[in-house]
Amino acid sequence: MAELPPKVTIMKGATPDLSAATYQIHDETHTIGNALRWMLMKNPKVEFCGYSAPHPSENVINVRIQMYDNLSSLSALITALSDLDDLAVTIEEKYVASLNSGNYERWDERS
Amino acid sequence: MDQQNTNSNNNQPRAGFAPPVREIMEYSCADCGATNEIKSREPIRCRECGHRIMYKKRTKRMVQFEAR
Amino acid sequence: MDARRLVGIHAERVTDVSSRDFPGHYPDEDHSWNLKKFRKNLTVQVRRVSQRSIDFDLVGVDASIANAFRRIIIAEVPTICIEHVYVYNNTSVIVDEILAQRIGLIPLNIDPKKMEMKEADDESTDRNTMVFELALECTRKKDAPKDTTDPALLYENHELLSGHLVWTPAGEQNEVFRDKPPAPTNPNIVIAKLRPGQGIQMTLHAVKGFGKDHAKFNPAATASYRLLPHITIKKPIPVHLAEKFQKCFSPGVIRVDPRTKAVSVDEENKRRDTVSREVLRHPEFDGYVELSRVRDFFLFNIESESAYLPQELLPEAISVFRGKLSSIRRAAQALLEAPADEDVVMGDS
Repeated sequence: MAELPPKVTIMKGATPDLSAATYQIHDETHTIGNALRWMLMKNPKVEFCGYSAPHPSENVINVRIQMYDNLSSLSALITALSDLDDLAVTIEEKYVASLNSGNYERWDERS
Repeated sequence: MDQQNTNSNNNQPRAGFAPPVREIMEYSCADCGATNEIKSREPIRCRECGHRIMYKKRTKRMVQFEAR
Repeated sequence: MDARRLVGIHAERVTDVSSRDFPGHYPDEDHSWNLKKFRKNLTVQVRRVSQRSIDFDLVGVDASIANAFRRIIIAEVPTICIEHVYVYNNTSVIVDEILAQRIGLIPLNIDPKKMEMKEADDESTDRNTMVFELALECTRKKDAPKDTTDPALLYENHELLSGHLVWTPAGEQNEVFRDKPPAPTNPNIVIAKLRPGQGIQMTLHAVKGFGKDHAKFNPAATASYRLLPHITIKKPIPVHLAEKFQKCFSPGVIRVDPRTKAVSVDEENKRRDTVSREVLRHPEFDGYVELSRVRDFFLFNIESESAYLPQELLPEAISVFRGKLSSIRRAAQALLEAPADEDVVMGDS
């Protein structure tokens, strides 16, 4: 088996305390990039967050995070990831509840 | 192209291999559809109708494709 | 309706498109992430379900979240499709390449959870490959009526259909797939047309894959959302224009009282509007109405065209999404715990 590249790397130019850093996430797209950017921007300690898909033939996204008060952007990233997980769980709960309630129209659709 | 012919289609006998069993080549006539056996250096001509255009039959070998 | 939730739709432009619910945007307001608030604000309501499609509302999330689910359904929920075609004979008019491509697109009813991914250098096993045989020979019918031109009456097997696929169980597959023998979801797809003397014989290997690799692996026919239309009537519509006003919208969206001719928006049916902006073309309605869409109100429509039931696709997408999050989090955690002397892992450039 070929050695897999690390899922997340910190790109050159990050501050030593990681208060400002660009993370390269492998094998991800706008799907994760945009959702993650949104969740990071919900954090009041984040000064700036943006992402890009640098080139269509490279299977990576770059996520730039800058923090206030010299806080660690890596911790903010981890927090955002678990918050997104909570969000996904909440949506699934409500979806399943609505589906189980049976309170919707059922119809016959022929193919 | 995705096509990978499983057997290369050259007739040169390679070292270590017995020369391929010479099969009789069958062609079908473009005019009347009759099956003709034509050996090498024989004139290309239908025995039934004399037509000079022949079709070669599809290979009996398996051919592999990617469904893409 | 909170005006902040609305995206303005004008004759030639849209306004207030981007979401602004971020900390620091509005002074003295807290917009930081709050799971409790989110849960309270969130509505997921299933509207309509058939055996092939589902409509549901997802209210109170950002477009980036709704879009993530839509994208995952299309590109990253796995399905099983035919990938390798071994042609022993094909004397039909359709060339092997085209036939192989068509066969790859046939949706199969195989539960992807019961199969493993076959990576590039993996051996084919009963866990990662499903084998089908396809063999058909077209012949003339002896007792066909003399005057007919209908191929169905003239010939036997004049069409090669998806229903002609024959599953060849291997290893444990007979056991694992006993409840639902692998087959195409629709047996009536025409793959090729044949005439007497023409025949097809091939072996097909199906594997697990993702829509991002090839569109044939997309489990949905469509997975899309649109924003809920919102119509604000600013002042009463003149009685003589009531019917004209109603006709500017999709049927059922605008109610006109049969007696008083009073115009109102049908709140339950306003989702049917196409937001064609027809009403904005007529100067007599200038200033009477404002069109908009609700930024966080997503009307999802998903049509399944695979082994998944339509209502299963969103939960599948959510579990794929969570899998992605956890693999990124594991990698980020590893960076956090990396020994200080080793220095952070720096990527090139």
